[in-house]
Amino acid sequence: MYTPEENTPQNNKVSLLNFIEKHAAIGTWEFNTKLEKITWSSQTKKIHEVPLDYEPNIELALSFYKNGDNLNKITKVFTDCIEKHEDYDIEVQIVTATGKDKWVRAIGTAIIENNECIKVQGLFQDIDKKTKDAYALAFKEQQLRKTFETALIGMAILDLEGNWIDVNKSLCQTFGYTKDEFRSHSFKDITHPEDFRKGQRAMIDMLNGKLDHHETEKRYINKKGEIIWTQLFTSIVRDSNNQPQHFVAQINDLTEIKKSTEKVSQLLVTTEDQNKRLLNFAHIVSHNLRSHYGNLDMLLDIVKMDLPETTENELFPLIEQAVSNLGDTVVHLNEVAAINIQKDLKTEPLNLLDSFNKAMSSISALILDSKTSVSIAIEPDIHVKGVPAYLDSVLLNFLTNAIKYKKPNEPAKIEIKTSANTDFIILEITDHGQGIDLKKYGDKLFGMYKTFHQHEDSTGIGLFITKNQVEAIGGKIEVKSKVNEGTTFYIHLKKHD
Amino acid sequence: MTKIDVACIIDDDPIFIFGAKRMMELSEFCNSFMVFKNGQEALNNLKPIMNTEEVLPDVILLDINMPIMDGWEFLDEFIKIKSHKMVTIYIVSSSINPIDLNRAKRYENVSNYILKPISLNSLKGILAEVTDA
Repeated sequence: MYTPEENTPQNNKVSLLNFIEKHAAIGTWEFNTKLEKITWSSQTKKIHEVPLDYEPNIELALSFYKNGDNLNKITKVFTDCIEKHEDYDIEVQIVTATGKDKWVRAIGTAIIENNECIKVQGLFQDIDKKTKDAYALAFKEQQLRKTFETALIGMAILDLEGNWIDVNKSLCQTFGYTKDEFRSHSFKDITHPEDFRKGQRAMIDMLNGKLDHHETEKRYINKKGEIIWTQLFTSIVRDSNNQPQHFVAQINDLTEIKKSTEKVSQLLVTTEDQNKRLLNFAHIVSHNLRSHYGNLDMLLDIVKMDLPETTENELFPLIEQAVSNLGDTVVHLNEVAAINIQKDLKTEPLNLLDSFNKAMSSISALILDSKTSVSIAIEPDIHVKGVPAYLDSVLLNFLTNAIKYKKPNEPAKIEIKTSANTDFIILEITDHGQGIDLKKYGDKLFGMYKTFHQHEDSTGIGLFITKNQVEAIGGKIEVKSKVNEGTTFYIHLKKHD
Repeated sequence: MTKIDVACIIDDDPIFIFGAKRMMELSEFCNSFMVFKNGQEALNNLKPIMNTEEVLPDVILLDINMPIMDGWEFLDEFIKIKSHKMVTIYIVSSSINPIDLNRAKRYENVSNYILKPISLNSLKGILAEVTDA
């Protein structure tokens, strides 16, 4: 509270006030409680964006305040000023005469005479830009804080000595320390001893201004004493004078990735190991089985020569059949093992049509006898990558299968054509035969010893070996089939360019 | 057809030995046998007499997979021995491993690789080759 009568001479006061008004965007105002008259200085009018001849009254003056909180606030402090003689200094929003929202600082003080408020005098300052800037800054600050706090990656701010100033939630989770526990440690305290020197050079370079940021892999120790593998990205923050202020670190927890990578490579080793053992096993089985089968076969020969009378019964032919079946099984096993053992198969360009004709001629008698019709639409210049023996065996197997599984009462009809995509020549062999119920047998079709037809020659080995051979030369087989309508095999063979 | 005088079987499988001997008798393959259960036994017995006047085998049927000393080890030792007589060696094995087949080709003394089981026909083939030579 002050009494205006005690002020410096009037003219000085006015010029100083004018000076302040103009340069600080501060206006003055006065309210005479007796006359209920309000006067605004020209700067106050400018802030309200009203013309200089504008004559406010108290209702008009209050109407500039935004409805709600702002109006309530100014009404209350203004009333309190008059009734309780309380000075005020508040920041509120007005809407100017041109409709602009504006932050202002309103200061009021009561002038007392005989214990009664005769006047309220005050200042009115345009603080719009400053306030809005401050709000914008606060908003940005909050955005950054949220980003920092809720980032999935661990983030930290460290002082130049490496003490934690702030850490985010993710980092706390990774390390098992609370924020306070972090602050009582330096980063060195939780670094894996072997990685102690890692990134030190970079930190010095960043302090010296030689480096702006640095990325490295580094191990830490968490609260439980476990190793934490991380990818660490550090950058340095400088002030406007280019003086380093603090480090910002992003710490990505790679522990799980490291663990699963290790697991995968461990699995790979195990698988390779098992493969080797399987291969070895296949060798032993096929070799030993061969020896025993060989002996049985030889002994049967000797029995036939030495003791012909013992062979003239029902039993002997069955034993012979059993031994011969055993021999076949051993041969099949060996074929399969041989295909899978061959690692770096040497493939060569093979003319598909030539290979087909070769296969056809080797079963020409069968084709004639069975009255099979074969239509071949293969361009003579198509070449595929393959091993001759494999391709021959594959083609032969599909052809004989098509004849074997024809419809019972009509001769087989085989159609062969090709198509191509980027990597493969696709050989289509359609048989118009019995067809296979793929819903029932689809997943077993290429299995070993699977037969789907009551055919005397079904061994269930052909497709299995075929599939292995096709895959060994980098191809694959697809199949479409309908019972009683026939089967189409799509044999994808690697293109030779 | 002429008979081979002495045939030598080096094999650890008694059933094979029994069968091979019987087959040889039935096919009138040879007059007499020498039988050794592995490479080491064969080497111990053959090495001292190879350059003497004692009776030597005309043909050796050599198994590959044997305990103590296998067929390859035997071959490596045997070809070092000086002898006045040419001994024809046949490898007789169950192994269809291409590595074994190719390895057999590298030995000059090995005439052929015969897959078990042996039959009268394969014995006749050997007989023809050996007596023609």
